Amino acid sequence: MTAPVRALDASRLPTTVFDHRSHMWWGTLGFMLIEGTTLFVCVASYYYLRVNVTDWPPEPAALPSLFWPTLHVAVLLLSLVPVALADRAARRLDLAGLRRWFVVASLFALSFLYLRWKDFESLNVRWDANAYGSIAWMTAGFHGTILMLQVVETVIFTGFLFSGDFDERHFSDATDSAFYWYFFVGSWIPLYLTLYLSPRL
Amino acid sequence: MIQFPGAHSAHDPAGPQAVLVHRLGDLLYAIATVVFVLVVTALLIALFRRRAGEAVDDPARERGMATVVAIAAGATVATLVAVLLLSFGTGRRLTATPPPGALQIRVTGHQWWWEAEYRDASPDRWATTANEIHVPVGRPVTLELQAGDVIHSFWVPNLGVKRDMIPGQATSIWFQADRPGVYRGQCAEFCGPQHAKMGFLVVAEPQAQFAAWLERQRDSARTPADSLTRRGREVFLASSCAMCHTVGGTPAGGRLGPNLTHVAGRRTIAAGTLPNVRGHLAGWIIDPQQIKPGAHMPASAIEPDDLRAILAYLESLR
Amino acid sequence: MTTDAIQLDTETLERERRELERSWSSRPGLLGWLSDTDHKSVGKRYIVTALVFFLLGGIEAALMRIQLARPENALLDPDRYNQIFTMHGTTMMFLFAVPILTAAGLYLVPLMIGTRNIAFPRLNLYGYYVYLIGGCLLYAGLLVNQAPDAGWFSYVPLAGPEYSLGKRIDIYAQTVTFTEISALITSVEIIVTVFKQRAPGMSLNRMPLFVWAQLVTGFMVMFAMPWVAVATQFLAADRLVDTRLFDPSAGGEPLLWQHLFWFFGHPEVYIIFVPALGFISSIVETFARRPIFGYPVMVLSLVITGFLSFGLWVHHMFVTGIPQLSESFFSAMSMMIAIPTGVQIFCWIATLWAGRPRFRVPLLFALGFVVVFIIGGFTGVMVASVPYDIQVHDTYFVVAHLHYVLLGGAVFPLFGAFYFWWPKVTGRMLSERLGRWHFWLFVIGVNLTFFPMHQLGLAGMPRRIYTYLPETGWGTLNLVATIGAMTIAASVAVFLVNLMWSLSEGAPAGDDPWEAPTLEWATTSPPPPYNFHLCPTVQGRSPLWQRPADQPVVSGLRTDMREILVTTMLDAEPDSRMRLPEPSVWPLIAAIATGVTFIVLIFTPWGLPLGAVLLTGAFVGWGWPRGKDQRLQRSEERRR
Repeated sequence: MTAPVRALDASRLPTTVFDHRSHMWWGTLGFMLIEGTTLFVCVASYYYLRVNVTDWPPEPAALPSLFWPTLHVAVLLLSLVPVALADRAARRLDLAGLRRWFVVASLFALSFLYLRWKDFESLNVRWDANAYGSIAWMTAGFHGTILMLQVVETVIFTGFLFSGDFDERHFSDATDSAFYWYFFVGSWIPLYLTLYLSPRL
Repeated sequence: MIQFPGAHSAHDPAGPQAVLVHRLGDLLYAIATVVFVLVVTALLIALFRRRAGEAVDDPARERGMATVVAIAAGATVATLVAVLLLSFGTGRRLTATPPPGALQIRVTGHQWWWEAEYRDASPDRWATTANEIHVPVGRPVTLELQAGDVIHSFWVPNLGVKRDMIPGQATSIWFQADRPGVYRGQCAEFCGPQHAKMGFLVVAEPQAQFAAWLERQRDSARTPADSLTRRGREVFLASSCAMCHTVGGTPAGGRLGPNLTHVAGRRTIAAGTLPNVRGHLAGWIIDPQQIKPGAHMPASAIEPDDLRAILAYLESLR
Repeated sequence: MTTDAIQLDTETLERERRELERSWSSRPGLLGWLSDTDHKSVGKRYIVTALVFFLLGGIEAALMRIQLARPENALLDPDRYNQIFTMHGTTMMFLFAVPILTAAGLYLVPLMIGTRNIAFPRLNLYGYYVYLIGGCLLYAGLLVNQAPDAGWFSYVPLAGPEYSLGKRIDIYAQTVTFTEISALITSVEIIVTVFKQRAPGMSLNRMPLFVWAQLVTGFMVMFAMPWVAVATQFLAADRLVDTRLFDPSAGGEPLLWQHLFWFFGHPEVYIIFVPALGFISSIVETFARRPIFGYPVMVLSLVITGFLSFGLWVHHMFVTGIPQLSESFFSAMSMMIAIPTGVQIFCWIATLWAGRPRFRVPLLFALGFVVVFIIGGFTGVMVASVPYDIQVHDTYFVVAHLHYVLLGGAVFPLFGAFYFWWPKVTGRMLSERLGRWHFWLFVIGVNLTFFPMHQLGLAGMPRRIYTYLPETGWGTLNLVATIGAMTIAASVAVFLVNLMWSLSEGAPAGDDPWEAPTLEWATTSPPPPYNFHLCPTVQGRSPLWQRPADQPVVSGLRTDMREILVTTMLDAEPDSRMRLPEPSVWPLIAAIATGVTFIVLIFTPWGLPLGAVLLTGAFVGWGWPRGKDQRLQRSEERRR
């Protein structure tokens, strides 16, 4: 027998936690900061290239079209609704609700693929025509990789929800997924303003 | 052994910019030395002072140390602010606009040589030369710098000027040589395989000599005086030389290599790499890759007679 | 924090120890080795790999110094020389310095904060493999004469599609991508581990300064690395798919590259420097036998240094013709950053003054750091002055400056750290005698090599030249520098001999050979896979010096699975329990998928869709919970 030791009993602490209490939330936040910085660099480069030039877009490029990109933004904003509802369902530990809203989110996500394609078309310039075209494509392209990630992750997670491998601790992952969705939508707004509206100023 | 011309050092200022920077440098070194001695002394004292019988935890001593550290921090701030102000002061004097009457020269950096153009009101009085820039003593000179391909950097230590030449933008600097001399410069931005041998000379000479030099540069190439030289010109014009080099007043109008109209008057060849003497010139023509591997000038399979003729011709281009 | 008094009988302790051993050990055999997610194992791999790159970078330096020892030397032709100097810079900066200094954090931070592993163990292993692939890619390039040759800074247009043919620069761009992914992963690991897994009682203001340094570095990496990631992808795109980002004839800007690169490049050197500041604090407090003087000021200095380092980058561009206002701002900032570092040095001197110094080898290297680094600091203030920089920019003066601050500021502390923590990692002491030889040869070698370079720069010698003419008169000092380089090589040889000697002949270290204050010394040397049998709590900044007899330990964590305690961010109050994943081979598979993606991208943009498919497969395989995970989770639910 050894002498008694003072001990802190951790055995009753919970294992399912949300938001900043969860590691994955912090990992997601880290990823957002990194991706956010990356997108900031693209936007900064866009304005840097613009600053020395009077003609923007330079001849013979036309102004970017507004219809499809604006529609895309509207759809993105609309998609926040099912995602927010999914988030609420996850916090209630409501699997049925979570499944329902993630299916809707998946449909939105798949639509983004088409809409992003139209975004690129609406730039009305090739990536190799001039620096204006190049930076516009690179900026939309970097966000496009986040979009691809989002689509794949959402669809696969939706499938996961219906598999037998889902259990309680994954509710927290669903809320982190929603967290990332907000970032993905929010980060596009300044990019949309830069790529499609700022050349008109 | 032919003595290579040119001083090439920041320690030997030959113009006002270099003098200002040199003085600033001396001051900075002095401050650095003093601070270094102080810090190392403090460190040695801290390590080796006698501590017999001292208490381990002494709040009064902690407070004393806090005061000392605060004072040292304050002294650091003060010193840095002083250095910053000194630096700003020097900087302002360096970048003041040049006095009127500056000579204007356009310098373009190429892989791996320097093109210098002395313009004039009338275009037929423009003079183009390469790798050796003459300037009058005591008169400000404004250089308009451009890059022909990649980023280069124009640097003459004795004159205290350095500026990057960046494709797509023109930039200008000015300097003044206060005493006659031959000052060597070298490219100061990595620009490819022969960055190491992209040198040039700045020849500062009295106004009269400079004016005479510039007049000569404006002339077309000398007409050959004898048959060998004439033959040399024929060979030159018939071979690939004319595709890259210009000799004023002849059909040779290539712009890829240095202008050779007055090449014999230059002290060096291959961008400050070799003295401009027959042996080196011959070696350079036969195979530049032996001297500057990677240079854009190809080797020439040239008959010895033709070579002698070309050498005679080039040596006539004063 | 409520605690109980519990009885821990030997039988229970033994059973728990065996269970912990079983839960936390890696699997046996090759597969076990490849899937080992223990942070100490991953940390050691990073360190060994980085040391190999250090030696390769050193060989490159030796070749350069031999080539430059005499004018018009013919050892290396210009093409080879340009590849070698580019490899030297790229290797030292991307493959050695950042990986080894942050890997020290991967190994030591969990131990110092009293937890069992890093926050995302599989991601950590993935990050290592990606780094390894990146390094191998670069050296594969060297072997087939496709090593990058435009400098580690790779300026355009020289590095662009028109002037750099072949795949050299594309290899460079993707090597940077790999190392940057790895560094970003490491930064997230450190930040989350520090925020969420500190021992109860270790509030932020009780964290060791080493941990603060790693935390600050983590944030710096996170905000700096994306700039070079974007820059290199822009460069790759210009070369691969004809974008015009840097092409002035189509509206592009060569200076855009410089801004993007240096916005990363300047914080990069502080990313290398700040962890080393952490090493020095650990070493000085241990060998002065008292806590570092001025803890709050030290923390503030680290944080301020981190912030300020982002405001200096234009000082690399002082001769590009930028506006004067810009020059003045960056000049001022570049000088001001000396202040927080100076304050740290004053605090260390004060610590030594008020302490009772013991002159063991780690302290020698810390002292060497002070002396050598401040010389670099002074020349740093000089080059921060715009007028002075006009003369010395892109000359050997800057080569001298950067090596004084990097060798002084990072390698001296790193060697000190080796002597200090090697006993913890291996259980053996290094030889003091060989250590002193190492130290003195290194100090002499560094000064002999780099001090003459100040003069060489002022005498007109530019950087990045494969040779120089005899008439310049630069030969003598270059020869001296080469002799210095050989001395450095000798010192490194002594170091390697010391490492090997220690593994077979070194004295057993025991738990705490230095009588140091931090938690890593509270467990065995080397630590068991689970770090601590009973996870500690703390009540002060120097836990082992201040620990009362009844300092509580943590009990109640599962021993039959990999469970850790998660605490709150500010005050480290116990908050939840978390199960860490089992070892997995998926990080390796995902790293290979990543490698294939970016290597194919060197040759064709189809790498992108290919990569999307491969990476999706790899990360689904990684993330989908299965098998043993499930059984363990269900067994926990049944228990409740």
